Amino acid sequence: MMKRSFRAFLMPTALMAGLLAVSTTTGFAADKVIKIGGLFPISGPGSYFGVQDKQGVELAVEQLNKSGVNGYKFEVQFEDSACSPLPATQAAKRLVEQFKPDVAIGEECSDATLAIMPVMAQAQIPLLNAGSSSIKVTEPGNPWTFRIMPNEVMQGIDIATNAYKRLNARTAVVLHENTNAGIGNAKVFAETFTKLGGKILADIGFGRDVNDFTSIATRVAGIGKVDVIPTYTLEGQGLKITQALAQAGVVKGGGGHSIQLGTIWLPFGFEKKAGKAALGYVRIVQFDPTDQREVVRNFIKAFKAKYNQDPTHINAHAYDQVMLIADVVRRGGKDAKSIRDGLAATKDFSGVTGSVAFDKTNQNTKMDTVHYMETMPDLSWKALKWN
Amino acid sequence: MLTVILQQGINGIVVGSLYVLVALGLTLIYGVLVQINFAHADFVTLGAFAAYFITHLLSGNYFAGIAVALVVGGVLGWLLNATIFAPLRERGNELLPLIATIGVSIMLQNAMLVLLGPIPYAFDTPYSNHVIRFAGLFFTVQSMLIIVMSTITIGILYAFMKFTFLGKALRAVSQDRETAGLMGINPNYVIMLTFVIASALAGMSGALLGPVLVLTPFAGTSVIVKAFAIVIIGGFGNVEGTIIAGLIVGLIESYTTQFLDPGLIDIVVFALLLLTLALRPTGLIAERREENV
Repeated sequence: MMKRSFRAFLMPTALMAGLLAVSTTTGFAADKVIKIGGLFPISGPGSYFGVQDKQGVELAVEQLNKSGVNGYKFEVQFEDSACSPLPATQAAKRLVEQFKPDVAIGEECSDATLAIMPVMAQAQIPLLNAGSSSIKVTEPGNPWTFRIMPNEVMQGIDIATNAYKRLNARTAVVLHENTNAGIGNAKVFAETFTKLGGKILADIGFGRDVNDFTSIATRVAGIGKVDVIPTYTLEGQGLKITQALAQAGVVKGGGGHSIQLGTIWLPFGFEKKAGKAALGYVRIVQFDPTDQREVVRNFIKAFKAKYNQDPTHINAHAYDQVMLIADVVRRGGKDAKSIRDGLAATKDFSGVTGSVAFDKTNQNTKMDTVHYMETMPDLSWKALKWN
Repeated sequence: MLTVILQQGINGIVVGSLYVLVALGLTLIYGVLVQINFAHADFVTLGAFAAYFITHLLSGNYFAGIAVALVVGGVLGWLLNATIFAPLRERGNELLPLIATIGVSIMLQNAMLVLLGPIPYAFDTPYSNHVIRFAGLFFTVQSMLIIVMSTITIGILYAFMKFTFLGKALRAVSQDRETAGLMGINPNYVIMLTFVIASALAGMSGALLGPVLVLTPFAGTSVIVKAFAIVIIGGFGNVEGTIIAGLIVGLIESYTTQFLDPGLIDIVVFALLLLTLALRPTGLIAERREENV
């Protein structure tokens, strides 16, 4: 009796585990198909990326498949790369061996992207990345990897320069997670800010398992007058840091002097979650919802119609990844090699996050994908139009 | 500087109190069953989510959220013990229930992922952003609540263990299950009770941790490794040792952040763990096995 009830309990469990373990495919039977492999974090602390990436990708594929592009339709298979090197490598190998994509998109987290790159290069499949900032992704250059987003050097120099020149900041404390991207972004900011004449009062790194940031906020509060606090971390920890800094009376949101500077990593809705603590927070986003370009207005309208919610920058850059691939197919891309060549030749693609033109290292050189926003007292955004 | 040192002391005690609450459940189960419950972290997460939803449903009644989290934890502990752990223990293989706790952990995490999604929840209680500033120090009402609730819970648990018949029965089973059975105590009932108390504690600690944690379906796993370390440093199932070790780890975290680097926290904590195992393998409070719990 007990055996039977135990089995009865295990059955749905096994089913659920199976459902989660098996990758999802958005596709159909057709002769001319461009196969896109999606490597995104579906589990773990970065999984909020994957959920939003999937929405953007599926919207783009749905729109493209209504009439096709150059006679091609698009099929996507997602694998969980978990924002971490080992699962990312395994997911990439699985994708290459089983799905055999013509092109891959992802990952979001730099450490995972760096792990995927050699797998894709060996299989000679182009990898289009939109969310990783580590300079190592495109330096010294990998013929099979392309990046839409400005890298950490481009972002770091831009943020540090704007902090020094536009915010008149002279002192900074840098907070970052101890990952390739976190350390790299913090380093570039510190180097640029120092060169301009600013002073870094502290560089504080932390693991992804840190939950309570009161001790870090206490340390920052004890340092004295800090003008800006650039922060490089994922949403969950970012939220806790902002609230802790406000509680410690460090940032404007807590009645303090410091302005927190944030990155592209944080999604929309961050301010609503952080509450008043986010007041005065200046951060860059990859997608400006107030942008009046037709491509942006159409994207927002279609996204709201499909998901009944406002799109985030993660939705937007995932959508752009697929639309850029479609643009390459429109220009004659039909397999991995021709898609790679088409991506490399991209000079004037205009997506919802901004424009794309790749340099010799396959890094997008356009900075109009970076939009500065300031959080207002009602937690809305004010576009600062610095780029 | 004195203010900063005092402030970090308060921060350490708050975090340490939370660790103690999480670790106490592990200690109880280890003390009675000599078994590690890997699903404990997920009971904490479930407690946090239960408190989150109840607090929001009842327009900010956080105490109702804590109470419901306690009940949810207890009921879940009872359910899992009755349906999975107890039948496996009856087979006489100690490894089976241990592996089952890993399976339950993965199942709960993924079930929460499906139901609740991966995007972090912002669990703000009416007390989490209410900051009190005094003589250069600051603390939220939430952090004070954590210390008070932890102290009360530890006090009640201590009184239960020392002065009630059930508490004594629980200690008897932890000392010698067979002899306790011969004395008229039903060991299976006591084990069930242990699971219920430990899981209820996990649920409640989740309710208190929720506003502190990055609340996702994986929230509990971020504290459970430290909780295991605390159980070992404290003395493998020793309640008093667990309390002392939890507070020490909390203070180590705060002062490491202040004077060294937060990136070194895990190195310092686990160096202490290794040092304890090397120099004092029985833990901080070296009691005889039969005096545990």
